[in-house]
Amino acid sequence: MSTLTKITTVESKLFLRDSTSAVMTFAMPIGILVIFGSIGFTEGDNENNVSAGFLPVLSLALAAAMLGLSVLPTVLATYREKGILRRLSTTPVHPANVLTAQLLVNLAAAVVAAVIVLALGAVAFDIGMPDNPVGFLIGFLLMASSLFGLGLLVAALAPTGKAATSIGMLLFFPSMFFAGVWTPGDLMPEWARPIRDVSPLGAGMEAMQSAWEGHWPSATNLLALIVVTVVAGAVSARVFRWE
Amino acid sequence: MAIIEVKNLHKVYGSTVAVDDVSFEVEEGEIFGILGPNGAGKTTTVECIEGLRRPDGGSVSVLGLDPVRDRMDVRRVLGAQLQESELAEKITAAEALDLYASFYPSPANPAELLDDLGLSDKAGTRFEKLSGGQKQRLSIALALVGNPRIAVLDELTTGLDPQARRDTWHLIEQIRARGVTIILVTHFMDEAERLCDRLALIDGGRVAAIDSPAGLISRVSTEQTLRFRPSSPLDETVLSALPDVTAVSREGAHFVVSGTGNLPYTVITTLAAHDVVAAELRMDQASLEDAFVAMTGRSFEPEPVG
Repeated sequence: MSTLTKITTVESKLFLRDSTSAVMTFAMPIGILVIFGSIGFTEGDNENNVSAGFLPVLSLALAAAMLGLSVLPTVLATYREKGILRRLSTTPVHPANVLTAQLLVNLAAAVVAAVIVLALGAVAFDIGMPDNPVGFLIGFLLMASSLFGLGLLVAALAPTGKAATSIGMLLFFPSMFFAGVWTPGDLMPEWARPIRDVSPLGAGMEAMQSAWEGHWPSATNLLALIVVTVVAGAVSARVFRWE
Repeated sequence: MAIIEVKNLHKVYGSTVAVDDVSFEVEEGEIFGILGPNGAGKTTTVECIEGLRRPDGGSVSVLGLDPVRDRMDVRRVLGAQLQESELAEKITAAEALDLYASFYPSPANPAELLDDLGLSDKAGTRFEKLSGGQKQRLSIALALVGNPRIAVLDELTTGLDPQARRDTWHLIEQIRARGVTIILVTHFMDEAERLCDRLALIDGGRVAAIDSPAGLISRVSTEQTLRFRPSSPLDETVLSALPDVTAVSREGAHFVVSGTGNLPYTVITTLAAHDVVAAELRMDQASLEDAFVAMTGRSFEPEPVG
């Protein structure tokens, strides 16, 4: 088994043993789907331009945001704080392997959460599936990569695991606002809409929403997600401290 | 043959000189101690040996390799136990050891290593549930799992209870018996005195002295002191007339006799000849701490254990 495979296997076990991350990743999106699905939110609200795909898209976005903005930076900053990355530096294996393993584990968790949400939505609540699955997948993966990029940046800058959690939460709540989680569709104030189009969570949700309705995600949304991924990734690669 | 050579090592953090000028050589198979108070530059020195830090001046050679330039080769032969380095809370002892074993070309058998370190029954226990002593032993196991030729152990017993410290000392002697060269960083005098073949006294980023513990002590004082209560009245002059005795004084009912050479034998046989038994007998020698104070001109204040 290669070193990265071995580390990824161990990190996946640790991920599943941590009940907080498991709840955030799987229970929360499923809960949202079940609760709002049960009260008939899936019908769509044409008056305010809220589409039927809003609920699964929201669930997936929240799962990816929790992973990227909370779980990933907290784990990595804690590993640094506890000297785990430093200890790895004394072995023939570079600690970057742990970082890669964490990205893989969190991505896998996001994908598993997405599959569960989509399957449950289709089977239990008759929400259906995205009309443009490829566009949906692209939107989802780019949203995840931009959120993970931001998470790496938080991990790079936060001095401790606790600080990483706090900074992640500081990013999480405005992200939800600008993504229109509380004010979906046309309920969002005019001034906030341009930010929605380019903020990772907003752009990601818009991209997935378009694909749900059978369109291709807009270039603005995709470009915004790519820019965030590349910039956050590059900056964190430059400033990340191993100890 | 010297397995590690440190020459005129100099390391600066910002405007703080952590290591000013440190030189020493470590011989293959010995336990070499680096002893000094907090902030003396001990940890920085070994971090340069481990390749974790780049020296600002001087040179470090490990088995003829440069720890910075040949970091990969050095890491395969050198195991490090770092001060205050933990593991993920939820990883078990066996998982951690298996994982680290996979990093090395010819690792030790993780199960045997757990057994050697008395952790077999804790193999399935998560790191967060281990006691301080068990965590330290696991940390030592991780430093040894790559079958290193050199092990660097930094502040190994800080925070351990007395029994766990003694167990750890025993363990270090076993590791040396396997042929591993050990560098032991400590601020505990008793630990250095008990374990080290040779040690470097470091103070203020400089080497104050390098010698065996006994050698360092004998540089300071060869005098011994006997303290006892004579079982029957005794004239001081009987003792002060002895050739090995340099001073005799009285503290209440007790005699305090200082001297050199074979002082205990001389004093006890003389007492016996006068039908006197030495009750509550205690013998004091200069300690490593006295040596440190004498060589650096300042007191040695270890940090509170905790």
